[in-house]
Amino acid sequence: MSNAKYDICIVGSGAGAGPIIYELSKAGFKVLVLEKGPWLKTKDFTKDEMTATRRDAYTPHLKDERHVVEKKDSKGKWYAQSTEDTGSDLWNGSCVGGSSNFMSAYFHRLKPKDFRLKSEYGPIEGANIVDWPITYDELEPYYTKVEEIIGVSGKVLPHKNLEPRSTPDYPYPPLKTNIVADWFVEGGKKEGFNIVPAARGIISEPKDKRQPCYHSNYCGSFGCSSDAKASSRAALINIALDTGNCEIRPDSKVFKLENDSTGNISKVWYYDFNDMKQSVEADIFVVACQAIETARLLLMSKSDEFPNGIGNNNGQVGKNLIFAGGGAGSGSIRFDQLSTEDRAKFDAPLTFVNQTLLDFYEIDNAPELGERLKGGTIDFLIEHANPMPKAFRSKYKGNTLLYGSALKENLKDYFTEQKRVRYEIFCDWLPTDNCNVSLDETVKDKWNDPVGKVKLGYHEHDLIVGNYLAEQAEKVMKNVGAIDINRSINGNPPTNLIAGGCRFGNDPETTVLDKNCKAHEVNNLYVTDGSFMPTGGSVPHTFTIYANSFRVADKLIERLRMTSDLESIG
Amino acid sequence: MIDDKEIAPDLLDSISTWQVNRRKLLKAGLLAGAMTQINLFTSCSTELKSNNDVLNAQQSLVLETTLNVLFPDDGNGPSADDINAFGYFIWAIQDDLNRKQEANTFIIDGLDWVNKKAIQLKQTNFYSIPANHRTAFIDEMVKTKYGKKWVSAMVTLLFEALLLDPLYGGNKEEKGWKWLNHTPGFPRPTEELRYEVLMKKQLKIKQ
Ligand SMILES: Cc1cc2nc3c(=O)[nH]c(=O)nc-3n(C[C@H](O)[C@H](O)[C@H](O)COP(=O)(O)OP(=O)(O)OC[C@H]3O[C@@H](n4cnc5c(N)ncnc54)[C@H](O)[C@@H]3O)c2cc1C
Ligand code: SF4
Repeated sequence: MSNAKYDICIVGSGAGAGPIIYELSKAGFKVLVLEKGPWLKTKDFTKDEMTATRRDAYTPHLKDERHVVEKKDSKGKWYAQSTEDTGSDLWNGSCVGGSSNFMSAYFHRLKPKDFRLKSEYGPIEGANIVDWPITYDELEPYYTKVEEIIGVSGKVLPHKNLEPRSTPDYPYPPLKTNIVADWFVEGGKKEGFNIVPAARGIISEPKDKRQPCYHSNYCGSFGCSSDAKASSRAALINIALDTGNCEIRPDSKVFKLENDSTGNISKVWYYDFNDMKQSVEADIFVVACQAIETARLLLMSKSDEFPNGIGNNNGQVGKNLIFAGGGAGSGSIRFDQLSTEDRAKFDAPLTFVNQTLLDFYEIDNAPELGERLKGGTIDFLIEHANPMPKAFRSKYKGNTLLYGSALKENLKDYFTEQKRVRYEIFCDWLPTDNCNVSLDETVKDKWNDPVGKVKLGYHEHDLIVGNYLAEQAEKVMKNVGAIDINRSINGNPPTNLIAGGCRFGNDPETTVLDKNCKAHEVNNLYVTDGSFMPTGGSVPHTFTIYANSFRVADKLIERLRMTSDLESIG
Repeated sequence: MIDDKEIAPDLLDSISTWQVNRRKLLKAGLLAGAMTQINLFTSCSTELKSNNDVLNAQQSLVLETTLNVLFPDDGNGPSADDINAFGYFIWAIQDDLNRKQEANTFIIDGLDWVNKKAIQLKQTNFYSIPANHRTAFIDEMVKTKYGKKWVSAMVTLLFEALLLDPLYGGNKEEKGWKWLNHTPGFPRPTEELRYEVLMKKQLKIKQ
């Protein structure tokens, strides 16, 4: 019998970890969670821009922990810079629940064709497109599970790219929206577009100890004070704790997975609150540190059996990192164009729009781009309500830096005479050889461990699709009266939407994980954050990360039950 | 490097605390306990302007003067003084939990720089340039790369003073929010949940 104290040890506590923590604790297994960040509780979250976005108190200090980012300059030459020097970082949320505490929670399912991108649309030169080793049908029950357990609100309306569902609708009714939501629907109709409600990982009715969304005004980037937002902490970990089977160790930064001579992991090593090295044993280990840090941890875990990092004898760990492709645009609706009544409704502190255009998830009516190609999702939104980003928009007129009375006039006009509406585009970030994670040879973190080096290359095809979708979005923006429309579709990745790096697949030579997200080369190592995704679909990833993690949880329970049955017979 | 003593106005000369090189203090982290000093930053701007632990007398005068050029009392909403921008700046630039320490140093260096330029070009301290000529002087400064970067950094901090929660010393009596019809998010931060408290948790500093 194993003398390990824990059945399962999970590294990280965000979206990829939550379903494993929840399901395994509920199934009666002893679960240990090692989370690098502090344990912030619901009562610790306020709508403080200083904490959340100005001084970034939810993410590590760059002098302590950083990355090296490799990018191409305008002449096409690669150069590398430490994020400590550039100040732009790749951290998203370091605390119990991870970035899922701070997400906006736009929840879109992948479509069946996303699972067989290569077979459906063929290869693209320079892109490492593959089919997934599972089908939509295999994941569908788990999307449904996420909708019920984590809580997804919305309304299913038919549209030409609607994915098959086993339930007719979302379990939670749609959230209240700003009047501009109706204008977007109408604006779409004028173009013959079918704009439909977008689902959110936010509950609109009470669930267990969680309260519904009370429209707090600041959502994305801020923690939720009613637990309405489907963070892994509020929706899953808090319930797992009630079982008595789950232990959370915050402030525990894992730096090595140690293997025995059979190649199985025997223990993990971490730095505790006082930076002392500690280790812990378990039967099974799950890593879910968000794609970049997951790859880094595996690469850092070197041994005689795995000289290039654990699970990396085939050299695939860190390869094919992806982001959500696409971009965004925005335009202003000026209040003087509106009736008094519409103005009051539009200007109310109700920021949700929750409308989406999925007609172009597949593009088959743009011969200039080809006969049929994969498109993407267009979400319509209002700009975030917190004031600092709005102020930044008022800082310049053209290229002129404003100050004095001119600045004050511009601020007053921006805040009180208009509101900016936005669109966000999600298309595939095609996996390429130029987007990956490795270890930097020279830059170290505060524990003297090598930091992750992230190469940020993109495929030009992403921009072609992104711009096509932006053109469609802008037609609708114009129809709702938006002026001064700008567009930002480029190769800069959205650093909050990260996946890939430990692809799953059936071929142990070309993938890191098998179809159940177990490392091909290590019998007791699983990876359940977005790292497993070989392609990301044309949606933000978290709904799929959650669903897949529930799927893997079932496999783990099956495996652990089988082991304990065998042990009891033996 | 400008010698403080040489150019400090006579009136200020006698106040010995102002002779201290505050940046050394800053770097030594002696002001880490911002929490204990917060009343100072929020309460009385006038007192702060004449005596604070962060800037010397001359820098204080340059800061005050610059803020009122960048965010004047022009009848359109609150002025820098109305929102206690000075108090906010003093808090912000002594905050050694800020990930971007160099931004704080840059603000202070810029105060010295702008005054040095005033002496070079106008043969007087920046704050002694007649009020109706100060904007034109800043216009000139902004034409330089350094000046544009510095004024831009000043405006960013001014935005914070105008729009962040009054808890941090600016946005006095919510004047910034009221002027811009802004509805804050709820719940608002409290003294117990100030950013420093959360940041120390992130940085694993015992508190
Ligand atoms: C502002 C914002 C808005 C977003 N909006 C959306 C949205 O609308 N829709 C959507 O689908 N997604 C959205 N996301 C993305 C979403 O949050 C992520 O996709 C999701 O949380 C990823 O899950 P994860 O488990 O990979 O990582 P995380 O949730 O970040 O969890 C990783 C955890 O691992 C911990 N960790 C890292 N390294 C170690 C280590 N060595 N030892 C121990 N612990 C470690 C981290 O501290 C963290 O807590 C948003 C994100 C942000 C920041
Ligand atoms: S209450 Fe609603 S709007 Fe506020 S953070 Fe929670 S989910 Fe977002």
